[in-house]
Amino acid sequence: MQQGGGSETEVTWEDQQNINKFGRLNNRLHELQDEIKISKEANESLEDAGNELILTDDEVIRFQIGEVFAHMPKEEVEERIEQMKKTTSKNLEKLEEEKNSVLAQMAELKKILYGKFKDSINLEDD
Amino acid sequence: MASPSTSAVTERRGIPGASFVEDVQQYLAQLGLDVNSALVFLQERLQQYKLVEMKLLAQQRDLQAKIPDIEKCLDIVATLQAKKETGEDACTEALIADFEVSEGIYSRARIEDSSSVCLWLGANVMLEYSCDEANALLQKNLENAKASLEVLVTDLQFLRDQVTITQVTIARVYNWDVHQRRIKQATAASSKDT
Repeated sequence: MQQGGGSETEVTWEDQQNINKFGRLNNRLHELQDEIKISKEANESLEDAGNELILTDDEVIRFQIGEVFAHMPKEEVEERIEQMKKTTSKNLEKLEEEKNSVLAQMAELKKILYGKFKDSINLEDD
Repeated sequence: MASPSTSAVTERRGIPGASFVEDVQQYLAQLGLDVNSALVFLQERLQQYKLVEMKLLAQQRDLQAKIPDIEKCLDIVATLQAKKETGEDACTEALIADFEVSEGIYSRARIEDSSSVCLWLGANVMLEYSCDEANALLQKNLENAKASLEVLVTDLQFLRDQVTITQVTIARVYNWDVHQRRIKQATAASSKDT
């Protein structure tokens, strides 16, 4: 993340703390991006399941709970899937919000750090 | 709110803290090392940090896998309890479930009595609990797992900060050295001209 030039710009404790904070935010950003991807995939799977339910004629559906497939009436399965969809959507919203906040903080820090160190520091994702 | 002191926490749960360097020259004098030895020392520190980071990341992955498992168990216990409750006023219909006997082979099970469950406690031990007791136990396990994960995440953050501080120190020591050489070359060149 850092690369040195030959300059003599002094690094203060405050600068170090800013660099540390940027590192933490960058890590959190990557974690969030992975979590958002998983959450979106889960949402899509639930959508597909919901659609399959509408198309099927079966009255009893095998719904996966833990490691087993429990036989449940169609209405109950529909309810459960709706519930799961709501939970995943809310979770996705929360994750996106956090991601935006992290990106904003990182942009702020970039301004401060590039302002002081200019070319002596590299804050881009490789 | 953060005090402008030279270094923060000196260590955390066995992880040594990297002390922040105010002035490179003073730091080298303090250590009593020349530039190359200092760089070697700092690189070694970095390697040690990386090892600890690998260990913590592995622990984090284990915990992150354990938490959804516990949640699935809670789900099943909740389903059994709900079945029992509806079963008391409606006709007691057994829960029919398809489960995996062996890889790729499934069989049908008929679960009649939903008042108790057996929980696998590890170390080849399995105990029978009432649904309420099982719920309480699983909830406690879930909370413990989540708390451990939080502590682990804080440890990792601390560790990554120390890694960053060490990397910056390495860059600064190296730059200081380059700068010193340039000054020496400049003074040597100017003294040759005079």
